This record gives sequence, structure tokens and C-alpha cells, in this order.
Amino acid sequence: MSDIRFILVLPIVLGAMSARADELSREQLSFFETKIRPVLIRECYGCHSNKSGNVRGGLRLDTKQLMLIGGATGPAIVPGDLEESWLYNAITHQDYVMPPKRKLPQSVIDDFRMWIEMGAPDPRVNTITKINSKITRNDIQQAKESFWAYQKPVKNTPPAVEDTSWPRSDVDRFVLAKLEQAVLKPAADAEAWKVLRRLTFDLVGLPPTPEQIKSFTTAWQRSPERAITSVVDRLLKTDQYGERWGRHWLDVARYGESTGREVNMTYPQAWRFRNYVVDSFNDDKPFDRFIQEQVAGDLLPVKTDEQWSENLIATTFLAIGSKNLNEQNRVQFAADVIDEQIDATTRVFMGMSVACARCHDHKFDAIPQADYYAMAGIFQSMQTYFGNPQSELGSYSGAQEKQSSTLLILPTDDANPFDVTMTRSEIQEIKDEMISKRREMAQSRRSGGRSGANAQRERALFQNSMAKLSAKLASVDENGKPLSFSMGVQERDEPSNAKILVRGEIDQSAQTVARGFPQVITNGSTGIRSNSSGRLELARWIGSDDNPLTARVMVNRIWQHLLGKGIVTSTENFGKTGQMPSHPELLDHLAVQFVKSGWSVKSVIREIVTSRVYRMSTTFNEGYHEDDPDNALVWRANPRRLDAEAIRDAMLSISGELDLERPRASVVAQAGYTRVQNGQLGSPNRGMGGARPGNGQQSDRSSGNSRPEFNGGNLQGNRPQQGRRRPGQFQQNGQRRFPGRRPGGPTGAQRGSSRTQHPLDMENAKFRSVYLPIVRDEEPRSLDVFDFADSSSIIGTRESSNTANQSLFMMNNPFVIQQSEALAQRIRKSNSSSTAQVQQAFLLIYGRPPSTGERAATSAFIRNFVAPTSLSERGLATLAVLCQSLFASAEFRYID
Amino acid sequence: MFSRRQMLQSASAGFGYLAFAGLSSAQTADEAARDPLATKKPHFEPRAKRVIFLCMGGGPSHVDSFDYKPALNRDHGKPGKYGGSLLKSPWAFRKRGQSGLWISDLFPEVCKLADDLTLIRSMQCDQPVHAGAMTQIHTGTAQFIRPSLGAWTLYGLGTENDSLPGFVSLAPPSGSSRNYGSAFLPAIFGGTKIGRASRGGQQRSRASSSESVPDIRNRSLTAQQQRTQLDLIQALNREKIRRDKYQPGVEGIIESYELAFRMQDAMPALMDTSEETASTLDMYGINGGPTDGFGKQCLLARRFAETGVRFIEVTHQGWDQHANLSVDHKVRAEGCDLPIAGLLKDLKQRDMLKDTLVIWGGEFGRTPAAQGGDGRNHNNRGYTTWMAGGGVKGGFSYGATDEHGYEAVENKCHIHDWHATILHLLGLDHEQLTYRYAGRDFRLTDIHGNVAKDILA
Repeated sequence: MSDIRFILVLPIVLGAMSARADELSREQLSFFETKIRPVLIRECYGCHSNKSGNVRGGLRLDTKQLMLIGGATGPAIVPGDLEESWLYNAITHQDYVMPPKRKLPQSVIDDFRMWIEMGAPDPRVNTITKINSKITRNDIQQAKESFWAYQKPVKNTPPAVEDTSWPRSDVDRFVLAKLEQAVLKPAADAEAWKVLRRLTFDLVGLPPTPEQIKSFTTAWQRSPERAITSVVDRLLKTDQYGERWGRHWLDVARYGESTGREVNMTYPQAWRFRNYVVDSFNDDKPFDRFIQEQVAGDLLPVKTDEQWSENLIATTFLAIGSKNLNEQNRVQFAADVIDEQIDATTRVFMGMSVACARCHDHKFDAIPQADYYAMAGIFQSMQTYFGNPQSELGSYSGAQEKQSSTLLILPTDDANPFDVTMTRSEIQEIKDEMISKRREMAQSRRSGGRSGANAQRERALFQNSMAKLSAKLASVDENGKPLSFSMGVQERDEPSNAKILVRGEIDQSAQTVARGFPQVITNGSTGIRSNSSGRLELARWIGSDDNPLTARVMVNRIWQHLLGKGIVTSTENFGKTGQMPSHPELLDHLAVQFVKSGWSVKSVIREIVTSRVYRMSTTFNEGYHEDDPDNALVWRANPRRLDAEAIRDAMLSISGELDLERPRASVVAQAGYTRVQNGQLGSPNRGMGGARPGNGQQSDRSSGNSRPEFNGGNLQGNRPQQGRRRPGQFQQNGQRRFPGRRPGGPTGAQRGSSRTQHPLDMENAKFRSVYLPIVRDEEPRSLDVFDFADSSSIIGTRESSNTANQSLFMMNNPFVIQQSEALAQRIRKSNSSSTAQVQQAFLLIYGRPPSTGERAATSAFIRNFVAPTSLSERGLATLAVLCQSLFASAEFRYID
Repeated sequence: MFSRRQMLQSASAGFGYLAFAGLSSAQTADEAARDPLATKKPHFEPRAKRVIFLCMGGGPSHVDSFDYKPALNRDHGKPGKYGGSLLKSPWAFRKRGQSGLWISDLFPEVCKLADDLTLIRSMQCDQPVHAGAMTQIHTGTAQFIRPSLGAWTLYGLGTENDSLPGFVSLAPPSGSSRNYGSAFLPAIFGGTKIGRASRGGQQRSRASSSESVPDIRNRSLTAQQQRTQLDLIQALNREKIRRDKYQPGVEGIIESYELAFRMQDAMPALMDTSEETASTLDMYGINGGPTDGFGKQCLLARRFAETGVRFIEVTHQGWDQHANLSVDHKVRAEGCDLPIAGLLKDLKQRDMLKDTLVIWGGEFGRTPAAQGGDGRNHNNRGYTTWMAGGGVKGGFSYGATDEHGYEAVENKCHIHDWHATILHLLGLDHEQLTYRYAGRDFRLTDIHGNVAKDILA
């Protein structure tokens, strides 16, 4: 296969590139040298060249290649096409006005017209170089044969152990054998109530009720194995399981409901992916299938529209990464998006950092730069949809977004209840308004218009209002019915191979490489045909039984979530610089079982939690700690701090306030496509009241049920079964976007007045934490304070800190106080004496009754605490503060 | 220095000093002696009592700011040593102050204080990528989770104000907590995050006002009532640690509650800048303009320093100009130049600069060669950081890079050397400042580090 990989320099790649310096006729050359080059130097290079170091609008004109790349809006020159050549547009003062101060003489403009029409012959071509990889085929072969992670997992016979009475399963034998080698003994079983607490938090992210503890303890006395099995069966069937494990996946899938970075625009459709992930875990969707849907859902054959929708939504995985909309050059932007997609795809599923090979060969792993561009070819053959739907009047975006995109329209009708329905006349009004605005703008420009800053301001205002109107118009079909959109990807018409970019720079291309996968873990042909992008093949290969990494990476994640530490602690890095597995045979065993089970995540979870290892207590042993401070050999259970969601959900669950119903969409969906600044979802683009966070959204659920069937027409996603059709975006030939310069710098200039309340914190929401809005860099405080995953990055392992901030949160946050008060009410209803109340509080919050010492401490508290309220309410207020103290103390946030 | 085990032993009666202190508000002298944050005697006479670290995230370009390379101008457009073509700086360099240090126009205010700066023009670190380099500048290594420079400082010296954290990080970027964490040192030595920052250098609204520490006050309980509540919380925590025997996490929780309780009084007072004069605010550029956010951070840094906080870190993000250098580097600099100069002047006029070490630097510098015409790539083999006050020379340049600024060639200052020097200025011997963990003595500089003696005043 490597033969096809190293296709040599292609002298002729695209039609546009065919005019090489040596092929130019003397006349062409002389035309360029006398009529074109001097003008470029005199009039343009000052602001648009490498040499001057000035690159306004991301545009450079130094070489032919850079002219073809162009800037923010499009290529400066499209040979033979005046309409598409932005340079011509600018010098004729259409959408752009260049040079900015005056118009070039008509004769010069005519020269440029002729030059473009004759194919823009240009001798200033980069010499195309060929990059020779320092990683040889031999190196790759060697890594393939010797590095552990590239060997297919093998089924190992569980080792013999001395203490045969301890193990319950093969997992136990693998762990015990290592312990015995090191002359360590596994810790004794934890107490029944602790095991149940562990199980319930681990599987569904919620605490067990006192009743569940009671019946579990009884069952445990008869048979711990059977007690565990029956609880596990019960928990794995609940919807809360998917909410827990789906969230783990959302951490690695870098789920966020906005672009992040400097211009933080919302992703109003991201929630569909969140629900998709939760549902997939609940359905125990085979993990190989789950991978295929996320990487190539749009290409998988489907039988029903529902399935088609689901698959399209799954591809949000590729579209949801954080994006720098401020990037001025669209080619650079596209390259960065592809980079992010390669990074996510390889690290999330396979623990491989292929993206390290963007600018040069991988420094540590056997991944030559060519492998990166082999994958880049796959991803450049696809279009990514993440922004705002485009209306029939074109695609407009706000002045501050340099880059934008449209969305996919789903083939099923799943609009939100809060989406706006419009009448035909309303639609017409919007169209009229847009057309008249456009006319005004054109007039103003024709009449010479305003100059300098005023012109810029005028254009920004125009862009912003057009963006709003356009979004509104696009949100409905021609009958005014709201459409259902999703983020995701679609194939481009023709797949293409990528060129290696020297040092990753977009204008420094070297040889073309065939689309393909990292060589170090492929054998034989990739099976990518010339007319297919290879993405489906990629998805199938990642999720293939023969892939040495995929199953290992996933079972390692599962192990980490259940035991507190991965067998490979660097969960996203299974390369040379990653950590070696502490139990390689166990890792392989789990991986093999995983594949054998039909890639059932639930079955791996079941295998681990029914082991004896999972049941160990956290009992500390000083001598062991000296030998193995990180507990790598698992001589005891790791005490684990609950993650943010579990802490919040447990408080709600214990107070009795938890609403298990899934809220519709997200406040971000309700706010629509808008910029997030200072923790505020900006003014909504959709002409509705704007986000009303804080009270959930279920209230208006019922309103949107009787919507007529969606008529797909030509707007739908590209249904793969039926071959190629126009993909599910609005047609791309709409109006050109107007360029815009960013007004002023981005540094903290605009800062609102200070507020203690932050609307995206949603302190009053009662639904599960997985449904809280995850706007990048604006995550809710209740999650952020307890080390929530940075939503802009792939996070396989969260941090676990104990900080004064958390203490302040537990002491003073309104949410915590509300839940404590609700719990006090709940407890008082069924218990009159303060002893019984304290007992009940301990049972509910910790799953056990108070010790003698704790009884004394709570009694002292009740005696000493003078509640800030009238005498009649004192008891309740004291109880509430007591409940809060129990929530606040360490035991509540630890699983032991 | 004492180990965790010793600490646990010494605390065996009370299960951790602070847990014990939580029992009653009146501490005995004996208990205070066990306070891990109590002021400790340094190894030798210190030059600086505290540190303000101005951390420039993203990698500011040395060849455009503090490392003058005439050859880069001369050779503009020629091929660079490692590919690409050399890019002259868009900013002019000039001699500044009496000392005549060459500094560019990128920092028009800071350059006026050239005579107070020691430029270290020969910095090196091992990591060419942001996350790794950022972790190394903070902890000495990127491979493992290790205590931060601030945590080591606090461990070595204790703090002078027990109502505030001894180590604060103002508006650090999210996901960076290992950079100000305590790792295996007791959690109390870790940095406390004050406010949060979003990417791209914008400080969030709630990070820069008197209300910027969320949940800093309880709306219904008096201090006395809350103390009663806290006594219960801590009693439960102590009970837990007694059962668990070894639980650094719970120790951390116990300590953090005591700190949080005291912070409720101290913090709002500290964050309330309404008493600052208009001229002070002006000096920091706190005027609603582009310097407002970072100006407030710098002002807070001074206020923390004044109240005895040992290590203060302020982050200014967004220096990663692979593209658009000429515009965006300028915008970044404009956001922090005046505030930094204001901070230095203010410390000076309060006579605090003499024992406050101000350090400025990013995780690495940038390449002399261009990236995409108006950008520069990462460069960890040679870059510049500077120090001011706290026992370093003024108007001094230490070390040098090659003629274009690729690589440190003279008096190389690796991050380990930089750390050793900072500890030295604080009166700590980096070889003696150790902590025993899992049977081994660890130190910030691992087995490396040489103090850059030349820069000592």
C-alpha cells in the first residue's frame, strides 16, 4: 500500500495550476511583467504581501499560489473567471473598494480583465518541493512489529494465582497475579452499603436510596455475587445509565454548544448530538457501529428517515470542535478545521496523536507527515456544517465572524416547540426588508458612499442586520413551518487527495498523497476507491475487530471510570510518550471480550463491576503505599471524588427535587445562533423573547406536537442508499458575503457591569446536569467548580481538585442552599424528633447512619446553632443548615 | 522541611492542623506552630519576599519585543536556518533608559522602565507545544504531575496572611489547574484560582470586579452562625480522615474550608478597589479601554502582594500569533503594556519593588522565520523573559541568542536554571527545598538547575 502513498510530485494537479512558468508564452510573460506585476507591487503589496509583512484580510498576493488561495472571502484570482475573482471585484469597486483611496485608471483595470480572461498566466510559482520523510518504511515496520499498542490484542490465559479463593473472575486473576508477584494482598471487600453506593454512582451517577441499601444489604448477606448482579441488571436498564456514560463520552467528544475562542458563537443544534450520545449508550449500541455513525453516519445505508436523521446527527462529532471564526483566511480556516477533525478522530477512538504530524513527521511515533495528509484528503473531501442556516437570499453572517457555514436539514420533523412559525406574509416582509436593505447598501456604495470608518460601520451594521433577517427567514420552509436542523458533515462532489504542506503552511505545498490511514496500524490496502473519499472506509477500519487500538482505548476508558485510574493512565495517548499499561494482559483480555461481545459497552461494565477487584475496600496500607504510591497494582480501591455532575445530581436526588425527564433541547437552542459574551447569550437572532434560562424549558413542550409531515424536497441530506443527490444544505451559490474588518481589538474592551448571577449557571434548573448548557468558556459554575471537563479539549481524564472555591460554593451557593432547604422539608415530613431527622439525613446523604461521634457533633450543632428566623421556623432552618453541612463535608463527595 | 508523614504524625492529635484549628476559633501557640502556612525561615537571607508572575500565555515573540536582532532586519526574506524565510520585526527597536537596553516599540510603556529590568535573553525549555511548555514553566516538567513553582514557594516560606490563600492565580485559563496545583505537596500549598479567563485574552466580567469571587458571601447566615456550621462540617471531615487514615483529598477539603471561611472577610475587602485613587487607576489603565481588564488584574496583584500573599500569578492570554502577528501581537501588547508599567511604578512608589520579584514571560518565544507571511511559529530553543525588583539588577541583559534569535548561545538559561534563580532570590536553595513522596525526595529542579548569579543585584 505504501506505493500508492508516495505518489511523486504532480506537475499538473488542477486545471488552475497548469500554467507553470516554463509553459508561459513569451507574450503572456511579457504581459504579466509589464502590465500586472508593477501594479501589484505599486498598489497592492503594501498591505497584502509576505514581503511587507502585511496581510490585511488574510490576503497575500506574492505568488500565484497565494493569489489562488486568496483571503477571507475567496480566491483573489480564478483564472478565466472575472465573476469569481475577488481581486477584480475589488479593483472595480463592487463589494470591495481597492485600492482603498482611489480607483485605478480604467486602462489598468482593463489590463487585469484581459489578464484574468487569458487564464491569469503568472510566473511567480512556488517551486514545488518533495518532502522526504525521516521515518522510513523500515521504521514503520519495526514499530508495527515491536511496539505493544500496535499488536493486535491477544487472548491471554488468565494466570495461575496462589490464593484461589479470592478471584471471582478472570479480571480478578489478572490483578491478583500481579499483586502476588509484588507480595501484596488485595484489600478486603468493602461493606455492602459502600459497594452499592459505588455501583449506583458509577453506573447511573446517582446515590442509592436508603430502601435500596436495605434490600441490597439483605441480599448481600445471602450472596454478594447475586446481589451485585441483580443491581447491575437493574441499573443498566435505566435511562440514567446513558446520561451518566453518555456524559463520559461527551468529555472526549469535546461536546460544547458554541465555537469557543475569541468570537464565541453558539451551536444551537449541538444538543441533538448530546441526546444522540445518551440514547446510544442506553441502547447499548454496538460501539463499532457508534464509531461508524460518528465518523461517517452520512454515508451509512439507511432504511428509514429516522435512522437517516440519527446518522446525520451522529456526524456532529466531526463538526463540533472549537473553531476560530476570527481566522481571516478561509483556506487556513478549512485547514484548521480538518486538523481538529483528524486530532479528534485519532485521539478519541485510537489514542493516536496523528495531528502532531501536521507540520513535520511525528517526533516520537512512527507517523510520517504523509500519513497526516493521507487523512487530510479524506476530511477535505467533506464539507462541515456548524453555523447558521442559509436563506434563499443568501448566506449572511455577522461582521465579527470571518468564517461561517450553513446547517444540515434533517429529513425528519423534529423542530423545537419554541421555534417560530411564520405566515407567508411575514416571510414576504422579511424578504422585502432584506432586498431593500441590499438595494440601499448598493446605492450607498455606488454614490461613492462614506469613507473610512463610517463605511466600515455602515457595512458592519448592514451585515449584522442581514444576518439576523436571513437566519429568521431560513428557519422555516416556504410555508412558514419551522425546519429541523443539525450540525454534521456531507461529502463533497468529488473526493480529492491532499498535498503535504511544508511546515503545515497553506501556500507551501509539496507532493500529493493518496487518501489513507496511518500506516503503522494498517495492513495491506485501505480499500479506498478513487471515487470514494475513504471516510466510510476509515470509519469501518477504526471500528474493525482487527484494529489494535480501538477496543483497548475504550475498555481502558471504562476501567478508568470504574476503578478511578486507567490501566493506561494516559487515556488519549497510547503512543511512545504515553504510559505503559500497568496490566497489559488484563487490557488485552478486556479488549478481546469487548469485541467478542459485539462491542457491547454494557457487557464490559458488567464484567468489571462483578469482579472482586471492584469490590475491594479503600483501606489504606502504609507499607504498600511506600512501594506503590499510585496504587498502580490495585491493592485497594482508589478513593474517588465524585465528578461535578454526580455532586449536583445527587443533591437534587436526595432533596427529592430531581426531575428525571429530559428537557427539550437546550437554552442555547432557544437563544438561537448568537454570540456569547460575558456569560450572556447575545440578543437572539430569531425574533423571539430570547433565552429564559433558569426555569427549564419543559413548560412549553406540548405546543409543538401536531406539525405536519416535513416535505423534504431538495433540501435534505444526501441519502446514501440512493446515490448522490444534492446534500442537505441550502444551495451554495447564494449571495456573496461581504467582507468586513474587525473593528478594534478583541482585548477585554467590552465588559458589562458585574453581576453575581450568571444566566448560564441555571441555578434553578432541576433536570440532570448532563442537560445543562455547555457554552465553551462559560460552563455553569456548579460544574466548573468541581473540575468539569474543558469543553474545548478532548478530555479523557478529568482533574480532581479540592479548593477553597468549592468550599465557598458548598457554603454559599443558592443552589446548594435551596437543595438543603428542600431536603429539610422532606425529612421533616416523615420524622418529628431531631434524632430521627439526623438519622434520616445521614441515611439519605451518606447511605449510612451516624456514628456516635457524629451524633455528638450534630447534637452540639443543634444546641449551638441559633437559626436566623422566627422561633416557629427555627427547627426547620436548623435542619436545613445541618443538611447543607452534610452535603458540604468530604464524605458526600467521595466514593470510598 | 517535613514530609507528609511527619505532618500527619504531628497532626495525629488533631488530624491535620487546620482541622484542629477549626474546632475553636482561638488557637494556641502550640497549634500555630504546626500551621503548614506559618511563615518559615528561608535557607539564607532572601532578596525578595514575594513573587508576581506575569504569565504571557501563547508565547510572545522575543524578536519583536525584548531581543533586538539587527541581522534579522538585514536578512529579511532570506531562508531561515530551519526553513521558511526570515521575517524582520514590524516594530522598531530603540535604546531605552540610561542603561540603553534595546527594546522594541511593542512595549512603549514598559520600555520606559528599562533601567529596572533584567532581560534574560537566553531562555530555553524542552517543550515545543503550548500545554507542555506551559506546564514546564510552572512545574519544571511536562511529563508528570508536579507541584507548581508557586506551591514550592509557599511550601518553603509559608505565608504572611492566613486569611487569604498564600498562592493565587488570577483568571487562569480553564483546564490549566495542574499549572498552579500542589500535586503531591499538601493541597493547601496549591494555587487558588480567582476568577476565570476565556481564551484570547479576554477577562470575564465576573473575574474583574469586587463580586468576582463567586459565592463569597452567605446571604442568610451571620459569621457566628456560619462558624457553628463550619465546626460541624469539620467535625465530620475529621471523623472521615480518622477512619481513612491517609486521605490527601480530605485533608485538602479541611484546609480549604478554613481558608474559604476566612476569605469571606478578607476577599471582598481586597477586591474592593473603590478606595484607590484616580491617578492609581490611570496608572494601571483602568479606564474602560482595552487595558481595563488586565489593569484590574495587575492592581489586584499589587493588593494581594501588599497583604502578604506569597505568590501571585496573573495571566495574559492570546500571544500565539502563527498569523496576523503585526496586528494581533500589537493588540495583545496594548492590552498589557500600560498595566505592567503601572504595576512596576506603583510597587516602586510604595517601596515594594525592592522585595517583590516581578517576573514576565511566556511558555516560549517565536521563530525568526515567518509563518504565512505575517506570523511566527513556536520557538523553545531561545526566547526572552524578564525580571524586575526583588534583588535583580536593573537595566541588565543576561545571555543571548544567535544572530537571528533562533537559539540561546550565551549563558543559556533553561527553565530549571530560571526556577533555581527565582528560589534563590526568595532565599531558598533549590537543592535543599525537597519533599519526600513515595520514598523519594523531590525538588522543583529535579536534578538540574544553576542559579544565574550574574543577574543578582
